[in-house]
Amino acid sequence: MSDVAPFTPAVRLSHLGDDVKTRIFEAALRVLADVGASVQHDEAVRLLQKAGCSLDSDGLVRVPRPAVERALSSAPNAFTLYDRDGAAAMELGGHNVYFGTGSDLMWQYDPHTGEHRPSRLDDIARVARVCEALPNMDFVMSGAYPTELDPRGVYAVTFLTMMRNCTKPLVIVAESEIDLGVIIDVAADVRGGRDQLRERPYFLAYVEPVSPLSHPAESVAKLLLCADAGVPVAYVPAPLLGATSPVSSAGHVVQGMAECLLGLVLHQHRAPGAPFMFGVNQGTLDMVSGQPSYAAVEGFMNYLTVVEMAKWLGLPNWGISGCTDSQAIDAQLGLEVGELTLLSMLLGSNLNHDVGFMGFGLTGALEEIVITDEFVSMNKKLLSGIPVQDEDLAVNVIAEVGPKGHYLRHPHTRRYLRKGPGQWRPRLLNRDNRDRWVECGGLDLREKARRKVQAILESEGPPTLDPVLLALAEERVAALKASPKVGSPS
Amino acid sequence: MSTTRHAIIEEIIEAVVEGEPEPVIAGVRRALEAGVDPETVLNDGLTAAMTSVGDMLDRGEVFIPDVLWSAEAMQEGLALLLPHLSEGASRSAGTVVLGTVQGDVHDIGKNFVGLMLSGAGFEVVDLGHDVTAEAFVEAVAEHGAGLLGMSAMLTTTMPVMSRTLQLLEARSLRSGVRVLVGGAPVTQSYADKIGADGWAIDATKAVAVAKELV
Ligand code: B1M
Repeated sequence: MSDVAPFTPAVRLSHLGDDVKTRIFEAALRVLADVGASVQHDEAVRLLQKAGCSLDSDGLVRVPRPAVERALSSAPNAFTLYDRDGAAAMELGGHNVYFGTGSDLMWQYDPHTGEHRPSRLDDIARVARVCEALPNMDFVMSGAYPTELDPRGVYAVTFLTMMRNCTKPLVIVAESEIDLGVIIDVAADVRGGRDQLRERPYFLAYVEPVSPLSHPAESVAKLLLCADAGVPVAYVPAPLLGATSPVSSAGHVVQGMAECLLGLVLHQHRAPGAPFMFGVNQGTLDMVSGQPSYAAVEGFMNYLTVVEMAKWLGLPNWGISGCTDSQAIDAQLGLEVGELTLLSMLLGSNLNHDVGFMGFGLTGALEEIVITDEFVSMNKKLLSGIPVQDEDLAVNVIAEVGPKGHYLRHPHTRRYLRKGPGQWRPRLLNRDNRDRWVECGGLDLREKARRKVQAILESEGPPTLDPVLLALAEERVAALKASPKVGSPS
Repeated sequence: MSTTRHAIIEEIIEAVVEGEPEPVIAGVRRALEAGVDPETVLNDGLTAAMTSVGDMLDRGEVFIPDVLWSAEAMQEGLALLLPHLSEGASRSAGTVVLGTVQGDVHDIGKNFVGLMLSGAGFEVVDLGHDVTAEAFVEAVAEHGAGLLGMSAMLTTTMPVMSRTLQLLEARSLRSGVRVLVGGAPVTQSYADKIGADGWAIDATKAVAVAKELV
């Protein structure tokens, strides 16, 4: 059980009938069995063959239905992520909904100067600090790529920075199985051993195959390492609608599912029952600007379908929220962040990343994280549904007040507000009349979010990491950087 | 130009805009039969059509795949026209060796740049993705390419560009080839820093810069 009650929406969105879901799944099975895929990792190919797949003369691996069915039956339909201290934090599965940032943004809106500048390591620290302080951010991804650093071992440095600046569970990116191995070692040190890490995973690894239907050696090696270490992994393709997938929504989902499910077959064959997260990223190539949109309505359509398919297959799902195509912290941002985040909540989408993304996954803004947090808070209330006990139906209260009375002084009103469901209170959104709003500085949402970010950054950070652990972690990362096996081919 | 000749040119333009190769070929054939100057067919017909398709894309009136279809239809017409053109006009825009650098699988942008370059008349030798500095340099030598185009989408893989430039230098090939770089993390200042000849923010700009460079 989680130490914090998970949010599960009472109000839900679902639009596909069983017949439609069956058609989509059957189509994905046909792609797996008839079209096949390129798997660029010899050991993985051998494992897949043992799992019943064939390696054909065209070099492609074909996956038959029973292999997929077996993998689906051994994969857990839920798993838990634990925080830095080892407390259960996220129960991923069912309709539980969690939010967190995305990774690797190359640019940031500087929270102090507002300048658009290349991302740095201290941005990652700030993202972690901000998420730590926000009640509706459940996990942390780097949010930034440290462009000032030598790329060798950069993802291990990123991991360390996140770990130092927050206690919430992490979602990580790694370049290959080599840096991933070091990240696993560091996490195992934190837990006190490999077995303890397996029992209480501290992070989930985000690994991507390449659409269409290609599984590069690095991706597969990371997937297998996660299976071996019992580290939860999301094996999620990012087909871009009309560029690396069919332009039709259903075709996009079918291909994406086939890509993800091949990963599942491999992963479950290697380690039956190991935690695996299903998903298909919802990117859409804007066919005029050529930009990979994160907020195109076609992408949202695919997303609805993918999340429903995950529930139908009984797998925890990888989702997306809190992002925009806007280049500014403006009304477009609010609108797109709101729509996608609300969809995730209505769908009961499990792990929703990319909060704080703007400008097609290239720019980050801490204000956007704070705004999304507020939005999630508000909608947790909305989607919890209305209670309908006698106290809520309030017939006797209506009788007591009667025609032409008012409720302001009735004990029911006070009790309800103070001890009952209360009234949701905004922390950023304006509820002041014009005069008071002007008196308080006439601040818009962007400025209020900026000030909230400042306040968080000025407040005390999370408890520091045990210095012995930190020293050990730094040693491991330094060894990685010095290793001839890693990093950029420069 | 007579009205019939004018009408034929209009038809060619329309067919290119529609991205229909057969009517383009038919149009070019008719134009030649009607005695229209081949360079007029090229400039006022095929090239003008592509310019107008580009403008339409800018205005959001057509989609990227439409442009690719138009470019292909235009190339079909051009193939028919080539033997009739003077040396200067018929010269291909040049050979480009293109690829996404080692360690990087992002190839959508690179493919897009490649399609636009071939649409603009370049011979494109596409090495795919995960291309090593050695492979770039060998391909430049093998194809006698006047232009090398490298794409990198990861900060971790950008250094391959600089390594390739050094290797070109080391093999004494640098002076014979112009180097164009691009991709989301790559900036003009990075291009300058590593000594590349050009940088482009997107595929349309890449064509413009490529044309300037060769
Ligand atoms: C020769 O001259 C020229 C001239 C101009 C040139 C040029 C060359 N090359 C490009 N241009 C320019 O013209 C093109 C056309 O207009 C443009 O090309 P673009 O490629 O920019 O535009 C395309 C038309 C559309 N854009 C794209 O296709 C890229 C979109 C984003 C979302 C993206 C995608 C799709 C993918 N990715 Co990845 N991916 C992201 C991207 C975010 C982004 N906005 O860039 C980025 C680049 N990825 C990133 C990351 C981290 C990763 N990705 C990875 C994988 C993938 C997919 C496989 C899922 C997929 C690629 C599929 C494919 N076949 O290409 C991993 C790396 C794999 C590897 N070793 O390469 C992985 C490490 C993630 C992981 N969990 O493992 C980030 C890089 C961060 C950094 N600072 O390095 C990233 C910015 C997203 C993010 N914020 O996390 C211009 O840049």
